[in-house]
Amino acid sequence: MGHKIYAYLDERIRISSLMGFLLNEPIPGGSRWAYIPGSMVLFVLILQFVTGMMLAFYYGGTPDHAWDSVNYIDHLTYNGVGVGRLIRGIHYWGSSIMVIAVGIHLLQVFLWGAYKRPREVMWLVGVVLLALTMTASFSGYLLPWDERAYWGTIVGTNMIGLVPFVGEAIKAAIRGVLGLGALTLSHFFTLHTMILPTLFILLVMLHMVIFRRVGPAGPFSGTPEKLEATKDTFYPRQVLMDAFGMLGIFIFILVLALVRPPGLESVANPSNASYSPTPAWYFDWIFELLKLIRPEIVGVVGLPVMISIVLVLLPFLDKKPVRSPFRRPFAVLSTLFVLTSMLMLSLMAENGYKKLVPVDRTAMLRGEKVFTMSGCIGCHTLFGKGGKIGPDLSEEGLVGHSEHWLTVQFINSKAHFPGSIMPDFTYLTPQQQHDLAMYISSLGRMGWPDPTKAP
Amino acid sequence: MDKEVTYRVGIPVTGMRGESLGRLEKVLLMESRHQVTALVVRALDSMHIVPLERVAELTASDVRTNIAPSEMQGFPVFDPTQYEEVPPWFFPPGHHIELGALVTIKPFDVREQGEDEAMTRRAFMGRSVAILAAAIGVSLLVPIGGYIMAAATTPVKDSWLDLGVRLQDLPVDEPVSHPFHAFSVSGWMRVSEERSVWLIRHSGASDPLSEPEDKILGLDSASELSNSDPRLTVLSPICPHLGCEPQWHKGQKLFICPCHHSIYQLNGKRVSGPAPRPMDQLPVRIAPDGSISVIYEQFAIGIAAKKRLA
Ligand code: HEC
Repeated sequence: MGHKIYAYLDERIRISSLMGFLLNEPIPGGSRWAYIPGSMVLFVLILQFVTGMMLAFYYGGTPDHAWDSVNYIDHLTYNGVGVGRLIRGIHYWGSSIMVIAVGIHLLQVFLWGAYKRPREVMWLVGVVLLALTMTASFSGYLLPWDERAYWGTIVGTNMIGLVPFVGEAIKAAIRGVLGLGALTLSHFFTLHTMILPTLFILLVMLHMVIFRRVGPAGPFSGTPEKLEATKDTFYPRQVLMDAFGMLGIFIFILVLALVRPPGLESVANPSNASYSPTPAWYFDWIFELLKLIRPEIVGVVGLPVMISIVLVLLPFLDKKPVRSPFRRPFAVLSTLFVLTSMLMLSLMAENGYKKLVPVDRTAMLRGEKVFTMSGCIGCHTLFGKGGKIGPDLSEEGLVGHSEHWLTVQFINSKAHFPGSIMPDFTYLTPQQQHDLAMYISSLGRMGWPDPTKAP
Repeated sequence: MDKEVTYRVGIPVTGMRGESLGRLEKVLLMESRHQVTALVVRALDSMHIVPLERVAELTASDVRTNIAPSEMQGFPVFDPTQYEEVPPWFFPPGHHIELGALVTIKPFDVREQGEDEAMTRRAFMGRSVAILAAAIGVSLLVPIGGYIMAAATTPVKDSWLDLGVRLQDLPVDEPVSHPFHAFSVSGWMRVSEERSVWLIRHSGASDPLSEPEDKILGLDSASELSNSDPRLTVLSPICPHLGCEPQWHKGQKLFICPCHHSIYQLNGKRVSGPAPRPMDQLPVRIAPDGSISVIYEQFAIGIAAKKRLA
């Protein structure tokens, strides 16, 4: 049957010649594991396409439905299996892995000197693809419309607004409105699901066409005769290596999606000024660097401009044909320097963020009783009910107070707020204080809005 | 390289002073560089590989080299088993080469292991690729299939709707079409809808029409059986034939569906017409104060069984 179809197609569209063209591509020096990063990027991109389409299946791109729809996806089950959370998890982790894969691919091309003549154009297309990847992760961040998404995007678009002359205009064009609203969300949704995928498809195809025109760069050492003598074709050995790599990455993403499914914070609340936004982890180092550069504008504008200039001009500045990293000490050392500083900055950034208190569920449930018993609701609002004398506690868990801070707040509010009118709840036992702190820390973080309703 | 070059098999290859060295047999391609690098010349003794650097002039009718005849023995001998023909899609641009004349060195493992063994290895690796691809494909497509079906198979949560009317306010043995607001849930959205049901208050248990036909025929589900009341029958407004809405005809004391004339009695029993089953009875609860609540169920139409739609 299969053979018949193949023969039928071959007679009409010359499929065997096409397959031959695609698969018999010569690889100088033979197949290697070192050649798989490019294919990995392509694989993760396809994975993102597939899972992204699936997410769009149930997504509602307006501020009054986006959060509900993502929450709905998170709770979709089929025969008891949380398929919705799984698909979203693959897409969520896929974006991180994609950034890593692109990074590795870029690093390898750089170290192997594969961007040099005649592959300059291919490198440039790759740099554009890198920018697209970053834009995709930035625009996807907003779509769940939770607190993190909202505040992260507020900060991100504010940074764009700092760019001289054009910044405000670009920011207004992206946001569509003064704050973030329905227009922003549909802009981001269109960008994320229509514009970027189209550009991705076109540029990846261009990248591949150029690749087939100039051929693979091959190893950086060895005479042409030797490389020719050990050459291999793309199929089957290299394809097999790629396939193993893809399976590995796929399993990795799957495990991440199952073990650490993406969370969904409470729905975006523009009036929650106490929220401290954190960027996606791969932007951490940029934010940390921005803190160091003063005035702010120099960093915000200068840093991306500098990175782009270096990446774009690299193949035109570095014209020496030497490819081996062992004979390009400057290139290798500067790479090492950039990588270690990125790592250091990221670590600094991660430590800088307030860690939210891990919540113990049983203590949290007991804490709710202490809360009701102590009459906190007389002064504090919780889920729209209660007094207006103290601050609204509905999302207090996200503020990031430590357990110690909270216990002090309960028994001696004046330590934090001199002249505070909040009574000292000194009669609470240490156990009760702990439970209450757990309950307060869980507010707004789990099972939104009421943490005790979480499974 | 921009110049067009033509290689024709059989043209004479001449030496430094024009002496004949042999005839052009094949053209060698360095595949990974996409370049012609050498010519195979058929001399009197055997075929030799002559690098392209030694060619002084190349025309369509002859190849002139700067090789002395005595040198010929020094060039490596061409072993045809080590080379394979290059398919046309690998021809370098601007080269006119006769089909079959352009050859390239075979991949490493074919030369090392021989054609047959390399082919079995190729086939083995090809199968492994297929297995890996299938593994990824299946483990992605299965959750996707579930994901697509998940929304459709999520059971609706039954919710009791208070109709806002009390039993004592209803006429006896006279169906009332009672409109009310309901919500239908579509994924993450609740949509408000106008619905109606038939409310039939019975005069007493002695009345032969007080028992819903569904119950008599045993079509009811457990929830419908446990939530019924002899004082009141609630019927779905939807005709089980094709989904039209039967109307109550006072004079005849019958429900008649305007579409295909299915006719039902007060308790939903089908008297005539194409409908496959009686009108559908819905679960009902009557509170002590007489207020009525129902679950608005919907059923598959056109079949004899009373099958609940998810
Ligand atoms: C008399 C009214 C009153 C009562 C009762 C009260 N609080 Fe407060 N609370 C306040 C006020 C006012 C503040 C704001 C700080 C200030 O200005 O004193 C506050 C602040 C807080 C904060 C810190 C909010 C922040 O992040 O800045 C927490 C946490 C808190 N209260 C928890 C509780 C708990 C738990 C109870 C019950 C055991 C409680 N409060 C009872 C008035 C009250």
